[in-house]
Amino acid sequence: MADKTYSERMGSGVGFERIRRITGYLVGTMEKWNNAKRAEEHDRVKHSLSAHA
Amino acid sequence: MTVIKRNGTEVEFDLTKILAAITKANATVEEPIRMTPVQIQRIAEQVELSCAKLGRSPTVEEIQDLVEDRIMAHGAYEVAKHYITYRYTRSVARDASATLMKTIDEITNVDARASDMKRDNANIDGNTAMGAMLQIGAAGAKAYNEVYLLRPEHAKAYRNGDIHIHDFDFYSLTTTCCQIDILKLFHGGFSTGHGYLREPQSIQSYAALAAIAIQSNQNDQHGGQSIPNFDYGMAEGIAKTFRAAYRNLLIEDAEARLDIDDASGPVKDILAAAEERSGETAKLSNGPAFDLAVAEGLCAAFSIDPEEARHLTARVRRRAWKSTDRDTFQAMEGFVHNLNTMHSRAGAQTPFSSINYGTDTSPEGRMAIRNILLALDAGLGHGETCIFPIHIFKVKEGVNYNEGDPNYDLFRLSCKVSAKRLFPNFVFLDSPFNLQYYKPGHPETEVATMGCRTRVMGNVYDPSQEISYSRGNLSFTSINLPRLAIESHGDEAVFYEKLRAMMDLVAHQLLDRFEIQAGKAVYNFPFLMGQGVWLDSDKLGPRESVREVLKHGSLSIGFIGLAETLTALYGCHHGESPEVQEKGLAIIRFMREFCDRYAQEKKMNFTLLATPAEGLSGRFIRMDKRRYGEIPGVTDRDYYTNSFHIPVWYPIPAYKKIQLEAPYHALCNAGHISYVELDGDTAQNVEAFEQVVKWMHDCGIGYGSINHPVDRDPVCGYVGVIRDVCPRCGRREGEAVSRETLEMLRKRFPEAPVFHGIQ
Repeated sequence: MADKTYSERMGSGVGFERIRRITGYLVGTMEKWNNAKRAEEHDRVKHSLSAHA
Repeated sequence: MTVIKRNGTEVEFDLTKILAAITKANATVEEPIRMTPVQIQRIAEQVELSCAKLGRSPTVEEIQDLVEDRIMAHGAYEVAKHYITYRYTRSVARDASATLMKTIDEITNVDARASDMKRDNANIDGNTAMGAMLQIGAAGAKAYNEVYLLRPEHAKAYRNGDIHIHDFDFYSLTTTCCQIDILKLFHGGFSTGHGYLREPQSIQSYAALAAIAIQSNQNDQHGGQSIPNFDYGMAEGIAKTFRAAYRNLLIEDAEARLDIDDASGPVKDILAAAEERSGETAKLSNGPAFDLAVAEGLCAAFSIDPEEARHLTARVRRRAWKSTDRDTFQAMEGFVHNLNTMHSRAGAQTPFSSINYGTDTSPEGRMAIRNILLALDAGLGHGETCIFPIHIFKVKEGVNYNEGDPNYDLFRLSCKVSAKRLFPNFVFLDSPFNLQYYKPGHPETEVATMGCRTRVMGNVYDPSQEISYSRGNLSFTSINLPRLAIESHGDEAVFYEKLRAMMDLVAHQLLDRFEIQAGKAVYNFPFLMGQGVWLDSDKLGPRESVREVLKHGSLSIGFIGLAETLTALYGCHHGESPEVQEKGLAIIRFMREFCDRYAQEKKMNFTLLATPAEGLSGRFIRMDKRRYGEIPGVTDRDYYTNSFHIPVWYPIPAYKKIQLEAPYHALCNAGHISYVELDGDTAQNVEAFEQVVKWMHDCGIGYGSINHPVDRDPVCGYVGVIRDVCPRCGRREGEAVSRETLEMLRKRFPEAPVFHGIQ
């Protein structure tokens, strides 16, 4: 392992993992999602917590 | 003369092939209307003559057309009919097989990252050998089922995207899911089919066997597995562990105090006498009587003074409590790790698992709940968020909802953990459609969900067993609701007529599928039925039919895209106008009433499902976009909105979304869920988080959860919200950090992973 390829700086090219709920369950990261669910996740807006009516 | 085959190659014309085909069709009709061999010979010769006159090589299709014409010309209409049907079936099968080969080719050769089809289900890795084998098997089964098992009208509706038959690859094989009553399974031990397991005797074994039960049962069904009584189940294991710890520590302390080598004999007698006197065994909740009896026994056996004996037993109790608590945490941690790492279904996925808990107020049950929540909070080895099991916290007034309720502290903890890990989700036992089944002291009457949302409670087949335990869904099919609306061109009456007809078609298809499922015997489900997991299956022998007991399960009609449906019919969705919300409720009520009527008529549990729709989210709309083009608010995105949800892109305050969606929970009795999306900072505010959960409860939501971003940097191990820059190590996506920085961080955050680069 500790050979020349073991860089002194680590993480180059490594992304962040983003876990989201899919249909009630979670999946590892979003790379595995199908295109439609990815599009849906992309469109999700946050809901504000303004006071109840 | 040569003939052009379908694949373009040319072969020599062969009269005997035509003779054979006509003879075959002829043999399928009644004797009196059959043609004679001479007539058949003449037809074949006429066909040959016509072919010769063409002046070129005929195609196979042309020859078949000629054969059809000639048979008709002979007045043998029945024979012609059979010949045409035969030709059609062969051609459908041939198309299916060509499509199948193309599909298998894609599974074999295309990277899952580039193939949407291979990412249809996010939990199957289509890039692995076993994952790809599973997908190839599924593709083959689907091709076969469509041609051989579906009625033509159902096949057409399925193919066209009017309906979606879920888990179609398993159409002929099994049912969807089950709530496993873990206590019933454990009592007396069980067999996995590969070996017999004795009744577990410690919390570690309870947890390990619970994971094995989920794994075993999942191999008998195509959907998820759930444990409805996780806290009640684990409580028994905790009681056994505490009893053993109490005994062992008493022996240990007595030996140390008296400086003797073996106190086990006398301690055994002391405990037996104490149990006899106090009427209870050593447990977390013993009153003073038990310890007092033990202390007196110690005095008598070892002649130590009463004060010291009391002191000794008190210390033993404290230590036993502590060691049981530690063992429980480790058992829960092991359980979670197991469910995230154990392979099932030929190694391609981990079981879809769910656990329900929150209402057991016994000290043992509380210990189980607290530790499973802490294990979920801790995450996996590198602090990763656990994907399985889905945790479902049962919220109930008088049990855990209000301050002062016995498990209120655990409800608070569940909110805190969910704010970090997305789980637990929350199921609300006080909502009227759940409360109607609830009987205090009978945990089987508490609603439990399959994590995805499936819920089975009512039981028209056997109203004496309206319980969540040992039941599940048999199969479900979803309706493309927006298409019905588009095709109704704004005419409400036309829409309802179309909807009624489509529900009728789906109900018949579900019954057809039930007939296939009901044709199985206990031995087809060695664990589910063989080990008595499914309700009443313990009353059946291995060769007996499962038809009757299956009727405890549900047949569900689902739907997608209420929002788009309303927009197509009335110009806007239910989040935008109170009148349209009423229209939305009217549609879903209509669907529910249809299911209820059908259920009463057939005495089977037809129910209405707010379909989960993972693979389905894009399937219908892709087809509808091709058919109708981009209709604003209807087909202009890449997905239809899930079930009755307010569209994910529509800005709306959390409280209002919950209010608007709650009444649909009451109608969708096969399962429902509502989400609220919070930003990361709000989710970290436990007070605010708890208020949202309580608002769901107060509005009559059945099952809900709160979404918020959970990100993780695999390089430094940070878990939380990561926008552009990781708050811990300061790198951007794709950037590197120095080894020194990581080593320094590792000292401050010992759980940070050792990062070796991409391997």
